[in-house]
Amino acid sequence: MELQAIYVQVLALAIFAIGLIVAISRRNVFFVLMGVELALNAVNLSFVGFAKTLPADMSVAGQIVPLFSIAIAAAEACVGLAMVILIFRNRESVDADTYSNMKG
Amino acid sequence: MMNLPLWLIPLLPLVGTILLGAIAVISSGSKKGPSEGMVGFLAVLFPALAFVAVLLLAMGMPVDGIRGTLCNWIDIPLFKADFGFLFDGLSRIMLLFVTGIGALITLYSIGYMHGDRGFARFFAYINLFLFSMIVLVLGDSLLLTFLGWEGVGLCSYLLIGFWNKDVNNCKAANKAFIVNRVGDIGFLLGMLCLVTVGGAGILNYDALNAFIQMILTGGHVEIVLPILSLAGLLFFIGCTGKSAQIPLLTWLPDAMAGPTPVSALIHAATMVTAGVYLLARLGNMFALLPVVLFIITLIGLLTAFWAAMAGLFQNDIKKVLAYSTISQLGYMFMAAGVCAFDASIFHVFTHAFFKAALFLGAGAVIHALAGEQDMRKMGGMLKKTPVTACVMLFAFFAIIGFPGFAGFWSKDLILERLFMSGPLGPAFYVVGLLTAVITAVYMGRLIILTFFGSYRGSKESEEHIHEAPACMLIPMVILAIGAIFAGYFWADSLGITVFSDSLAPVVGAAQASVVHAGAHVNPLIFAGLGTLAALLGMFIALKVYGSARIPEAKGSSAPQGFKASWTFFFDSLHKYCGIIPVSVLAWICDVVVDKILQAIQWTVGAIATILGDGVSTFQVRKVRLQLAFSVACVAILVAVVLLTGGTF
Amino acid sequence: MLLHLLVLAPFVAAILMVATSKEDSKSSSRLAFLFGVTFFALSIALVAGGNQATEAIEWFRIPGCKGPVFYYLYSHGLGAWLVFLSCGLSLVALVTARNTFHKNYRNFAIGIFSLMGAMNGTFLSADAVLFFFFFEAMVIPAAVMIAGFGGKEKTKAAMTFAIYTLVGSAPMMVALWYLLTVADNSLLLSLAIALQSLPASTQFLILLSFLLAFLVKTPIFPFHGWQAITYAEAPAPLSAILTGAMSKAGVFGFIAWILPIFPLSMTTVNVMLWLGLVTAVYGGLMALRANDSKKLLAFSSMSHLGLAVAGVFSLSEAMLPAVLVLLIAHGISAGAQFFLMGIAERMTGTRDINLMGGLASRNPVFSTLFGFAAIMALAIPGTAGFVGEFTVLLSIWDMGPLPAVVAGFCLILSAAYMLRFVQKVIFGKAAREYEDGTRMTALEGSSIGVMVVLLLAFGFHPSCITTSLHLFDEDAIEEMSKLSGHDMNEAVTADSSNVEGIEADASSVESTEGSEASENASEEVRPMKEDELRQLDSTLAAAGFDEKERASIIQQMNATDAEQANAEATENE
Repeated sequence: MELQAIYVQVLALAIFAIGLIVAISRRNVFFVLMGVELALNAVNLSFVGFAKTLPADMSVAGQIVPLFSIAIAAAEACVGLAMVILIFRNRESVDADTYSNMKG
Repeated sequence: MMNLPLWLIPLLPLVGTILLGAIAVISSGSKKGPSEGMVGFLAVLFPALAFVAVLLLAMGMPVDGIRGTLCNWIDIPLFKADFGFLFDGLSRIMLLFVTGIGALITLYSIGYMHGDRGFARFFAYINLFLFSMIVLVLGDSLLLTFLGWEGVGLCSYLLIGFWNKDVNNCKAANKAFIVNRVGDIGFLLGMLCLVTVGGAGILNYDALNAFIQMILTGGHVEIVLPILSLAGLLFFIGCTGKSAQIPLLTWLPDAMAGPTPVSALIHAATMVTAGVYLLARLGNMFALLPVVLFIITLIGLLTAFWAAMAGLFQNDIKKVLAYSTISQLGYMFMAAGVCAFDASIFHVFTHAFFKAALFLGAGAVIHALAGEQDMRKMGGMLKKTPVTACVMLFAFFAIIGFPGFAGFWSKDLILERLFMSGPLGPAFYVVGLLTAVITAVYMGRLIILTFFGSYRGSKESEEHIHEAPACMLIPMVILAIGAIFAGYFWADSLGITVFSDSLAPVVGAAQASVVHAGAHVNPLIFAGLGTLAALLGMFIALKVYGSARIPEAKGSSAPQGFKASWTFFFDSLHKYCGIIPVSVLAWICDVVVDKILQAIQWTVGAIATILGDGVSTFQVRKVRLQLAFSVACVAILVAVVLLTGGTF
Repeated sequence: MLLHLLVLAPFVAAILMVATSKEDSKSSSRLAFLFGVTFFALSIALVAGGNQATEAIEWFRIPGCKGPVFYYLYSHGLGAWLVFLSCGLSLVALVTARNTFHKNYRNFAIGIFSLMGAMNGTFLSADAVLFFFFFEAMVIPAAVMIAGFGGKEKTKAAMTFAIYTLVGSAPMMVALWYLLTVADNSLLLSLAIALQSLPASTQFLILLSFLLAFLVKTPIFPFHGWQAITYAEAPAPLSAILTGAMSKAGVFGFIAWILPIFPLSMTTVNVMLWLGLVTAVYGGLMALRANDSKKLLAFSSMSHLGLAVAGVFSLSEAMLPAVLVLLIAHGISAGAQFFLMGIAERMTGTRDINLMGGLASRNPVFSTLFGFAAIMALAIPGTAGFVGEFTVLLSIWDMGPLPAVVAGFCLILSAAYMLRFVQKVIFGKAAREYEDGTRMTALEGSSIGVMVVLLLAFGFHPSCITTSLHLFDEDAIEEMSKLSGHDMNEAVTADSSNVEGIEADASSVESTEGSEASENASEEVRPMKEDELRQLDSTLAAAGFDEKERASIIQQMNATDAEQANAEATENE
């Protein structure tokens, strides 16, 4: 039985929703970061899912883009974690709600 | 010596100015200052050279004058002006006495300014003044005359405020300049008026005369009369400013704050007569404008009378002379008003001699008394300074019109012309004669208080009284001689008409155009009446002031009480009509309008700030909440786009 | 090449200045002086060189617009002389600042050079977008310098200045963008043609937004709110540049952009004329009451510029040379006065004129210069100020006697406030005890002296300014129409009157504009008035027509008037 495209999308949506909710509702900044990563990967999944619906020669392009995005996500995770650690060092807290320096 | 270029005459004092100015600036740092001998020599050299140049040119002048154009000045569409000079009968006479008396007074100043800190600066200003004055009378267009006109005003400002450590001197200088500026704007607008009538080249005197000739022959006087009258009036406003006539006369008495040679040169002999010169120069134009002429006569008459009355109540010796100058200028304007331009220039000429002599004499007295100017503290100077006293006496006889002296000839001529000027002539004549009586009274008072009786100052100061040095006496004596004999250039009753012949090519046409109606009266009657007026005035002065009663000196030399406010009536007029409205306007601008504008500006700024504050409340503290906000907003946006079907 | 150098090289110089030491003001001041002299020399070459233009280089394309934006510089007499002002004043500013800012001289010089580049760009650009770019760019270095080197309220002044002027020109940006969507490209010619195709109300809106930018920059009452505080708080050398060169950008905008592009209605012209006159009077009155010496000078500048704007909108034939002479005279004399005031402030330690006084005896050389500069500002005949003010008055007289009388009143006011100023600062006795600050150095004195001498020279020989005016010559027009993509003939047929106006040289630009303006105003033909006829008659008489000829001419005029009136009436019916 062939995999229906819609199931992939539903899964991606579920993962995205989980990621978003985690990012918004958790106060721990590491969890926020994890939530963001999760949401990103959900989008990748959705991309591949749509790519599968196309004929083979065209679907390659859709499968390459997530590869790029994964590479960039890795870099982003590095930078993000580094920033979080720096902030943690300064503030001695992982609570995202206490980070309000930028408020005017 | 016909090939002497005209531009040489103004150039000479200009070179003097630059040299002396450089000396003044360079030496200002040093303690000792430059050598007075050298500076004095340079200062006299250039005016004297200019006088010689004028003399040489005057000898060989053809009847219709010499014209010379140096170069172009302003050249734009609608308007052209050249640096051109015109040396004719009128400018010849003016130049002769301007440079001559200028050189003499410069010589006198060397003695007067001895030891002053700004010695070189003073002579630089004097030279600059002579340059401007020469340009004023030598210029061949109104614009060039205006250059001199404002230039002499500037020099007058600089010299009145010469002793600038005293703020009061500066204020007097400011007043002189600003009041003059009012008149100058009249002059300026008058020029613009003429340009609209006659086009770009009209400001040249020759072109103007040709234009007027053309109107006359074409019979279009009525067409241009309104605008010409306006121009005439505006020019006359300029003249009232420069020549201290009603209503712009208040600056001249205050101008006495300057050094005395300055008062003699600028505020008596030369600059203040520029107005009369202008009227004569534009004679052809004014002859067409009966209304303006009438106004001029009336203003001259009122000024002469009023200033003579004011002169009666002054205690400062220089202020008496200042008011007497205003009064004499009034005579000149009267004459110009009845188109007797040659008579008015003749009076300018004689007046230059006797008034300069009077001022220099007064300066010598002040010098002798170490700066005292109050006549109530003088007296008995006849014995102590005999030469000065003689000079002053001769000049006194000249100014009151004593037979044989210079003023007699010119004043009688003016009164005679006044009488014959038309239906109102006799009335004018009576007022003029009355003024002559008052002139004799206040001048008699001056002479009596200063030279006769006994000395009324303090004992210590009496010992210091000394006769002036030779370099001051020589110019005074020369001027006194002039005050006696200058009148014989035009002695109608003796049949000498050198003066009027020389002026005839310039102003003759204008005078001929105004027909003198009225019966011919024997000139001897006028002479007799004039003499009578002088004698009567002298007699009154002797009776009132000659008795042993000594007026008391109460502190300052400023006039006091009712007389003071009456004397400075025009000051309050200026105050209420000029200064206060402007200050009120300035106050409104500063305190009301500007504050309102600032309030608007502030309100706009405040609204922007409040809006900014309001928006920034959306920026909540919690990062997660912000994230939630943005997700929600994206959702709403997507919903809106989907629901409206992409209309937005 | 010269144009590129004048516009771009100042920015390069500013970057090079970064390399010098911040601590040692001596070495940086030497380099800055060298650059300043070079640019000044270049500007003289520009003035002497007459009209010239660079190749138009395509710069970028604005989305939504038909044509590209060019980097295209063009120098005509007006712009060249204003570049001369900006370079000259910058040079003197660099000289006088040397003794005022010891520590941060380098940064000051960087600011001055970038300001100079922006100003030169404003005066030389032939492309509207380029012009606007530089017009806005001027504000930034100036505001930064005010914030960095100003007086006590420097932050407030810098903010007021930047926000006011940037907000003022924001509508112009929108209007320009809108105009560009219609026009072929952003050059003058195509803008003027594009404007013709718009409805009248849109034209008017665009005109208003253009006017606002220039009104704020000049500044003209009631948009002068930023001026006094900015000039007062800015360091004196910068104030001199601001008033001497930058404020000219507003007047320049009126002459070089408003007049050729927009067909002005008589009402607009009148309103602008009176705004100028009101500014002149208002500035004079405010100066009469000001006690802060730099505010006094600021208001005096405002008064003079108001007169200049009034002169521009007299639209008389003599307007352009008159206004240019006035602008140059004012630029030099107001600049000199601000420089001198800066030195006075350094010596006495105050800006309040009631606390000064007695400088004439304490420092005679300085006071001589100060007095001279004041006299130049008074427009005594023989100085450039007189030539400017007289000729501007002459142009204003064209609009009627009343405006001329008001302008005359301003001259009286200028005497009143200037003499009060001189009296309070250099005459009398010192109002308080103080330690003398750094005195005027020989270099400062001589550079300001040169400015004064220049004023005298221009006063006696103004034709070197007035003859160098050819706003748009044939070559430039050809080049422009080539860039617009259609040849001259097409353009002429597209809109003859406007092209004609631009094609001809400076003076006739104004005259055609003027006639166009009156055409627009008198949609209903008004018969010639009685006194106009009289005036015409007298002018004819002056021109040597005899009586019969004149009568016939006037009769013809009357006949045509009546005909037109009849035609109008029938049309209305």
